[in-house]
Amino acid sequence: MHSTPSPAGRARGRLGPALGAAGAVLALWSLTAWSGAVAPGLLPTPVETASALAAGARSGLLASDVVASLTRAGQGFALGALLGSALGFATGYLPRLSAAVTPLVSFLRPIPAIALVPLATAWFGIGETAKRLLIAYAVLLAVWLYVHDGVSRVPVSHLRAARTLGAPLHRRFTEVLLPAAAPALLAALRYGASVALLALVAAELGGADSGLAYRLQVDGQFLRVDRMFAGLLVLGLLGVAVDLVLAAIGRRFVHWGAS
Amino acid sequence: MSKRVLLEGVSVAYGRTRVLDPVELDLPAGSFTALLGPSGCGKSTVLGAVAGFVSPAGGRVTAGAGPVTGPGPDRGVVFQHYALFPWRTARGNVEFALKRLGLPRAERRRRALAALAEVGLAEGAEKYPAQLSGGMQQRVALARALAAEPEVLLLDEPFGALDTLTRSRMQTLLRELWQRRGTTVLFVTHDIDEALALAQRVVVLGGTPGRVLADHPVPDGPPDPDLRSLIARHLHALPTG
Repeated sequence: MHSTPSPAGRARGRLGPALGAAGAVLALWSLTAWSGAVAPGLLPTPVETASALAAGARSGLLASDVVASLTRAGQGFALGALLGSALGFATGYLPRLSAAVTPLVSFLRPIPAIALVPLATAWFGIGETAKRLLIAYAVLLAVWLYVHDGVSRVPVSHLRAARTLGAPLHRRFTEVLLPAAAPALLAALRYGASVALLALVAAELGGADSGLAYRLQVDGQFLRVDRMFAGLLVLGLLGVAVDLVLAAIGRRFVHWGAS
Repeated sequence: MSKRVLLEGVSVAYGRTRVLDPVELDLPAGSFTALLGPSGCGKSTVLGAVAGFVSPAGGRVTAGAGPVTGPGPDRGVVFQHYALFPWRTARGNVEFALKRLGLPRAERRRRALAALAEVGLAEGAEKYPAQLSGGMQQRVALARALAAEPEVLLLDEPFGALDTLTRSRMQTLLRELWQRRGTTVLFVTHDIDEALALAQRVVVLGGTPGRVLADHPVPDGPPDPDLRSLIARHLHALPTG
C-alpha cells in the first residue's frame, strides 16, 4: 500500500515506453512508405496523412464528423450503460433472476452488433434512432455482464454486516453494494465505451450521411488512403481519450484500491 | 443492555443435508459463552441462526422477548475476516453503525472516535482497512459492532487469523469490554485454550450433523488443567471430520 506509487506517477512511468513504441511504429511506417515496397497509392506517408488530417480540420468536415459520431456513441452509450448497470445490479444481487436471464444473455452476446445492422435498419429505418439503439444494445450487453459479475462477487459478509448494523435496504444499496461494486462498474463502463465505438462504426457503415466511419467509407470509394489513414487515426485517438477520461473519473471514486 | 438468547430444538439443513441436529441452548442475559468444536461441526451455523443469517429447519431462536426472524442491530456480529468496508476509513466504518441512531454529524464523529479509542485505536481513525494490520482491523470491527449498541455480541472465530501475541491482547480487550458493558456474548472458536481463557461456560459441539456434546461452566481464577483435559477428551473422542 505505502510503497505503491501514486496513479500520476505510474502514468508518467508508462508514458516513456508508450512514446517509444509509437515512435518505432512511425519509423517503420515511414520506411515502408518511402521504400517503394508497397505499390504507390496504397500506403500514404505520415506526411501525406498529416496533411489530409489538416485539410479535414480546415474544411470543418473533421469537426462535424467527430461531433456526429461522438453524439451517436455518447447517447447510445448513456442509454446502454444505464440499462446494463441496472440489470447487472438486479441479476448480480438476485440469484433467481440471474438463473432465468443468464441463458438468454449467453445466447445474445456472441451475436456481433454488425450482424444486427440490417435488422435495425429494417425496423427503425436509417435514421439516428436505429444507430443509437444499436450502440445502446451492444453497450448494454457488455456493461451488464461486467456489472453482474462484480455485484455477485460482493462478499456476503459485507451485506450481512450491514444488516446486523441496522442498515435498511436503501442504505445497503447506496453504502455497501454500490461502493463494493464500484471497481467492477468502472471496468464495465470503460469496456462499454470501447464497445460503443465498435458499434458506432458498424452503425455508420450501415447507412449514414455523416460521422467518422461514414467518411471512411466515402474515402474508401475514392481510394483516398491518406484520408482513410487520417480517419482511422482519429478513431483510435478518440478511443484512447475516452478511456483516459473514464479512468481519471474512476480514480476519483475508487481510491481505496482493490481488496 | 443485554438479552437472553434461547435456542429450542434448533436444527439446520442446507438443502437435504442436515448440518445441525436439534440444539437446546440457554444463554442468560450478560453471560459469556464459548462454542467450541472442530471445523465443520456446525458451530458457525449456530451463530448464524442466532444472528439471523440462517433460517432453522426446525425449532426456534429467541433473543430477549421476540423470536429471531432475520439479522438485526440488537445482535452484533464480529466476523472471522473482519468484514470491514474497504472504502471507508476506520472512523467511517464505525460511523456506519452509528447512522441508525440519527445523531447529528458532529456527535456521530465524536462517538466513533470514542469507540475507536475504547479499543485502543485512536491513532488509526483516518486510515483505511488496507492500511491496518489484521489485529487493528479486528479492533475496528469490534468497535463497529459495539457502536451499534447490541444487546448480544456474536463472534465467529474472530482472532483465528491473528498471531499469538496479538491474539492474547485481543482476548484481554474483549474480556474488558464485556465486563464494562455486560453484553451477552457468544464466542465461536476451535481453540480450547481460547475458550477457557475467555468464557464463563464452554459448550462443546461436534459430530456430523453437529450436536452439543458437553456443557461445562468455567470457574474464575487460574486455569484448571483437569477441566482442560476433560474438554479435550470430548473433542478428541469425536470421529475425525
